[in-house]
Amino acid sequence: MITIVESLFHIPGVVSGRALGLILIIGIFILGIYYMRRRKLPYIRRVAAIDAIDEALGRSTEMGRPILCSYGRGGFAYSVIAAMSVLGHVARIAAETDTRLLVPTGGSHTGYLTRELAVDIVRSQYQMAGKPEMFNMDDMPFLSGEQYSFTAGYIGMLVRERPGAVIMTGGHSSEAMNIAEMSNLVGALTITSGTYVSNMAALACASDYIMLVDEQPAAGAYLSRDPEQLATIRVIDIYKILSLVLIVVGLIILNATGNDFIRGLLAS
Amino acid sequence: MGKEDFNLLKWMATYDKRWTYLLLFILVLLPMIYPIGMPISVSELTKEYYEQLETLEEGDIVLDSWSTEYSGYMELKPGMISSHKYFIKNGIKLFICLGHPEGLALVQALLDEELKSYMEKYDYTYGEDYIILGTALPNQAATLAMATDFQGSVKVDWKGDSIQGTFLDRIETGADIDMISDYTTGAGNPGLINHIVLTFGTPMIQNQIGVSLPGSLANKDAGLITGLLASTRGGSELELLVNEPGPGLIAMDAFTLGHYLLIIFIVIGNIGYFGWAKRVSEERERTTIR
Amino acid sequence: MSWFFKSKQVNLAILVASFMMGFVPYFLEVPQVYGFANTLTMVSAVVGQFAIVIAIYSQYRRSLRFISERRKGWVYNIYLLVLMSVMILMGFLVGEHHASYMWLVNSIVAPCSSVVYGILAFYMFSAGARAFRARSLKAALLIIAGITVLLYQAPLTGAYFPGISPYAVFLTEKVGMSLNRMFSIAIITGAIMLNVRMLTGRELAFMGFVGEEGS
Repeated sequence: MITIVESLFHIPGVVSGRALGLILIIGIFILGIYYMRRRKLPYIRRVAAIDAIDEALGRSTEMGRPILCSYGRGGFAYSVIAAMSVLGHVARIAAETDTRLLVPTGGSHTGYLTRELAVDIVRSQYQMAGKPEMFNMDDMPFLSGEQYSFTAGYIGMLVRERPGAVIMTGGHSSEAMNIAEMSNLVGALTITSGTYVSNMAALACASDYIMLVDEQPAAGAYLSRDPEQLATIRVIDIYKILSLVLIVVGLIILNATGNDFIRGLLAS
Repeated sequence: MGKEDFNLLKWMATYDKRWTYLLLFILVLLPMIYPIGMPISVSELTKEYYEQLETLEEGDIVLDSWSTEYSGYMELKPGMISSHKYFIKNGIKLFICLGHPEGLALVQALLDEELKSYMEKYDYTYGEDYIILGTALPNQAATLAMATDFQGSVKVDWKGDSIQGTFLDRIETGADIDMISDYTTGAGNPGLINHIVLTFGTPMIQNQIGVSLPGSLANKDAGLITGLLASTRGGSELELLVNEPGPGLIAMDAFTLGHYLLIIFIVIGNIGYFGWAKRVSEERERTTIR
Repeated sequence: MSWFFKSKQVNLAILVASFMMGFVPYFLEVPQVYGFANTLTMVSAVVGQFAIVIAIYSQYRRSLRFISERRKGWVYNIYLLVLMSVMILMGFLVGEHHASYMWLVNSIVAPCSSVVYGILAFYMFSAGARAFRARSLKAALLIIAGITVLLYQAPLTGAYFPGISPYAVFLTEKVGMSLNRMFSIAIITGAIMLNVRMLTGRELAFMGFVGEEGS
């Protein structure tokens, strides 16, 4: 049966073993373009963490302490782009409530690229709120291009500034644990997102609220109402359902007939 | 007003977390100074990793990828030392590629300090048995270039000396590499799997930190990685298998005590929760309702 | 001539061409493209490293302003600038293989990096000890699973109680790994969708066209 599957997917001109991957990627392209072009925006539910973000911002404003919001240390990854939507939302509320917003940037060599976008987003939110003078570039420092130097700088900011809320979304990895625990120590409400899968369990213990994997891009899409981000969430859901169906069908076929056709298909 | 009587259950529910830092520090430090010598078992994962090492023959060429910073080296150290001792003892040729600028510190730490006398013992010399290519694999792009046209993309070692006339002349593409040995703290360099393992079927073994282990287990389950060494513990088990006791075995006493201490604190916290905290919050709710 | 480099269409065309250079050789057997693809990937790796220059300039500018204005923590900025300058000078003057440069790396950079990573263990320990409370049935099951894996991970347990191994291995390798895979599917699909958005001109922020996304 595996031989049949191999010959089925031995498409001339396609590198051996990559035909199914090519088909799946083309599928994402087609679905993505379809959903992005649709007039009707895909529905996604309101993620619970959005309420937590609003609560955290309100708490900071009442306490007269600044808000600290970071979007991760990767380059233009999908989680970082989604985190920018959260940053825009936080910046808008900070501008409206006259609360100081701190955005530490850096952490990787590609952080220089995303920093420019973050600066633009925050500045434009202050301008739209009619308070351009509130924007302060020094509140968005580039700490370092190295992970642990960035972490040390971030922790220093936490200890010196003592924010009321720390919102850490986007592409954070192992430094998220350091930051979450330190923000607990300074008494800040900690909201994180777990895109670094290895860290997620520990981060869930250290944070007051955590957005698991897809919840953070979904929160970003919900807040921005951006058709492109909404289409992304919809395509991810479709592919997750497809994966589930393949797993269940494969299990049924394997147990009923002893045939691992699905496994061969996925390995082709 | 008198001082409140000490309530053990309340203390268990509300203890200062700095006690955990202090106790953990002491329990980790003491066994390092006064080793206890607790027995350890060898897991199936480490046995499989060792079996992969045993498939190598004298003269085989291994791509040694150090995709870790100095901080990760602390966790991977036992595995790196024992793996390299195996390579040295059995005459395996290595070309070392650093995936991080801090890798320069690793060269000194591992080769010049830990393994120097061992290399002298087995006459393992630079240029004949191992070559350091420097930060040759910083990303997927560089890995692809090396995998498809090694001689075209790599001409000098980390100090700028030509590699012509060395054992690396035998490598044209990734197919000529007998094994990849990867030491990484996270996703590592996916280019090794994408452009060498998948393309040429080169076997790959990996020494991975504990938190990133589940991700690597998925790769192992898919057959992309043939041997996986798990963090300090795997390194200490490998030290047993290659019969070269080192820093890993010394650390295992602290490792064990640290794990047990965490379990004790979880139990203490739950006793405090059920014995005091839950009761107090229920009473508070009843009072509020009234 | 600057219109050429500022043009959205030109930038998009370069993006699509670059994408095809990487995408085509991976999936399709087109040997004619391999050479271009290799060269392009090497060029992109080199260009990316030049961004370090921008970072150094940005850090100097900010730190000098903090020091001159005596802002909170300005002393740390002096320390940062001094060390940064010393390492840059040493790197250029004597090279990265010189003993003095290596001393700086081994004595300052490496230990500091290790400390920040090592502290993680204490943070994870205190977070775990604080968070694991059996407030509900699910939490209780989670604690049982956690304690099982913790006992298995302690080498002494495996030596005296080998019976715990199948349960812990099941939790780690079957449950943990399958969750990892589920997350990977979501993350990878999202990453590919981001590429779709970039290639169709709907995500232009990374090229500097903020607020001008195409339709």
